[in-house]
Amino acid sequence: MPEKYKQTLALFYCQNVPESDEANRQLLEKEYGKQIRLFPLPCSGRLEPFHLLRALEEFADAAYLIACPEGACRYFEGNKRAQKRVQRTREIISGIGLEKERVGIVIRSADNPRTLAELAWEILEKISGIDPSPVLKRANG
Amino acid sequence: MNTMSRLRRVLEKGEFAVTSECGPPKGADPEIVLKKAELLRGKVDSINVTDNQTAIVRMSSMAACSLIKNAGLDPVLQMVVRDRNRIALQSDILGASAMGIRNVLCLSGDHQCFGNQPEAVGVFDLDSIQFIQVVKNMRDEGVIVGGEKLESKPDIFIGAAANPFADPLEFRVVRLAKKINAGADFIQTQCIYNLDRFENWLKMARDKGLTEKAYILGGVTPLKSAGMAKYMKNKVSGMDVPDDLVKRMEGVSKEKQKEEGIKICVETIKKLKEMDGVKGIHVMAIEWEDAVGEIVEKAGLLPRPELDGE
Amino acid sequence: MITAEQKPISEIRGMIKPYRRILVLGCASCVAECAAGGQKETAMLASTLRMKAKMENEDVAIEEYTLDRQCVNDFVVRLDDIIDKYDAVLSLACGAGVQAVAEMYQEIPIIPALNTEFLGETRAQGLWVENCLGCGDCILYYFGGVCPLARCSKQLFNGPCGGSVNGKCEINREVPCAWQTIIDRLAKFGALDRLETIYPPKNWAKKQGGGPRKIVREDQEK
Repeated sequence: MPEKYKQTLALFYCQNVPESDEANRQLLEKEYGKQIRLFPLPCSGRLEPFHLLRALEEFADAAYLIACPEGACRYFEGNKRAQKRVQRTREIISGIGLEKERVGIVIRSADNPRTLAELAWEILEKISGIDPSPVLKRANG
Repeated sequence: MNTMSRLRRVLEKGEFAVTSECGPPKGADPEIVLKKAELLRGKVDSINVTDNQTAIVRMSSMAACSLIKNAGLDPVLQMVVRDRNRIALQSDILGASAMGIRNVLCLSGDHQCFGNQPEAVGVFDLDSIQFIQVVKNMRDEGVIVGGEKLESKPDIFIGAAANPFADPLEFRVVRLAKKINAGADFIQTQCIYNLDRFENWLKMARDKGLTEKAYILGGVTPLKSAGMAKYMKNKVSGMDVPDDLVKRMEGVSKEKQKEEGIKICVETIKKLKEMDGVKGIHVMAIEWEDAVGEIVEKAGLLPRPELDGE
Repeated sequence: MITAEQKPISEIRGMIKPYRRILVLGCASCVAECAAGGQKETAMLASTLRMKAKMENEDVAIEEYTLDRQCVNDFVVRLDDIIDKYDAVLSLACGAGVQAVAEMYQEIPIIPALNTEFLGETRAQGLWVENCLGCGDCILYYFGGVCPLARCSKQLFNGPCGGSVNGKCEINREVPCAWQTIIDRLAKFGALDRLETIYPPKNWAKKQGGGPRKIVREDQEK
């Protein structure tokens, strides 16, 4: 039976996310294989729209960012800036006919801090309905 | 043609002047202009013709003025600086004078974005005050911008608009003084509903000696409906419509609102007549020109004075 | 600085359609400051165009490079070594930069990716406002450092007109009435009486009287 198509996710995250250190990252990569590529950041505010665009261009069906809760950013404004940049990226991809849902941001909850693994799973669920990206040319079958 | 401005003669004689307005059509039919003008014959001293008002393309003010002049009436040529550079403006002054048009109202003009040609360039080579000064120099010194002498001088009675209700308030009288110093012979104000506020402005003008230097004509516009009152109050910049006036209009039935609007207008005129420094009125009854005669009559301003040689 | 904004992507694609090897060329000066054509924006645009090309199965190579400035010849010549690889350049410079590059490499179409807008300032992050028309005869002294040409919608020298409301322009309530600003500013210096004098007509010849302008400085020549 042919393998069911699974979305490839580029996941950018702030190093403040619980259980997101190097060891945890390697575990996740082992578990999901090619399905997720993880990109740790010192702060979500360091994410630029072109990081998301390049991910979509090269390998990802979807590119997501995990940011800290409102008021909890170690660098004060980083998470706010990140939201705006994600929004801008969504507008840009929409302009060339890609679904906005391919790019998104998840703001961590202050009262329910989930681990990187939990958030990654949650996001994969979220994007499970997205079609294979027309940008990436995959071999059929 | 060599006739003098009737408006000027009436004012110089010390009579209370009456002017009104005629908007040219969005077309080339001269009859429309002549019909509107005919409604005003004998009811007013002079008739203003607007110049592509609200930046909407209409028959040129100069052409309409010429038609009105040939019908034996006294037109006031409104000229905005939005559409023409100094070459065209000065040229039009000479042309207007040649056609016997003896009154010119120098205006900035509404910005082109408001009209039906928003992609047009706004010229604004001169502003309205510089333009007043230019016309004065043409008329009195016989020179154009730069000092070159004209072969013959135009004969023009120069007017400007004033808005006692616009922002910034404290500057309004300074601006009025500037226009008069630039050479304005007469001033027509924005339509007045708030008489107290108008009186404040007038007092400041009087204190500066301005009411002696130029003839101030108070603008009035009859309200057609309560809706119009509210619209002008809330949506039109530079206008002051007091609450109790809106209430008054709302207080009568729809069929009676036009009548009430005329009543208010007549009352306003009567009060303006009593004010020291107001030398006349300018009735702007947009698309309601047939009301002008009734208003002027009820205000006790008919018949218009007879002048020698008419 | 000169400000600009990116053209819609559909318009850009329409212009680059005939070409197969495109250089997306950024500029690190004014257009970087207004987030329209700097290195970041150049990378974003190039990636976006490549993605669309892939989606449409178009056979086109799109590469990017950013110059310090596109409007200075000495910087533009740095392209000498690489320009032959391309059949078109998509420039994210302002109009001045696009034309400077086009002047240097006349055989290759240099296509503008931006709409150049105005001379202005970065009033706050993410906010640029027009404040200079380049009239060639600066009158800012007289008006307290507020230009009535660039900031008054009707270019009045003896303003305000009758349309300003609460210090905002009649044509757009978000635009401050320049004349309100001038009056407030001169009042701060105690120079409000300056406005009682009639400011004479502008000498527009200094802007357009001699056609496209130029400046020559022999003391600056090599």
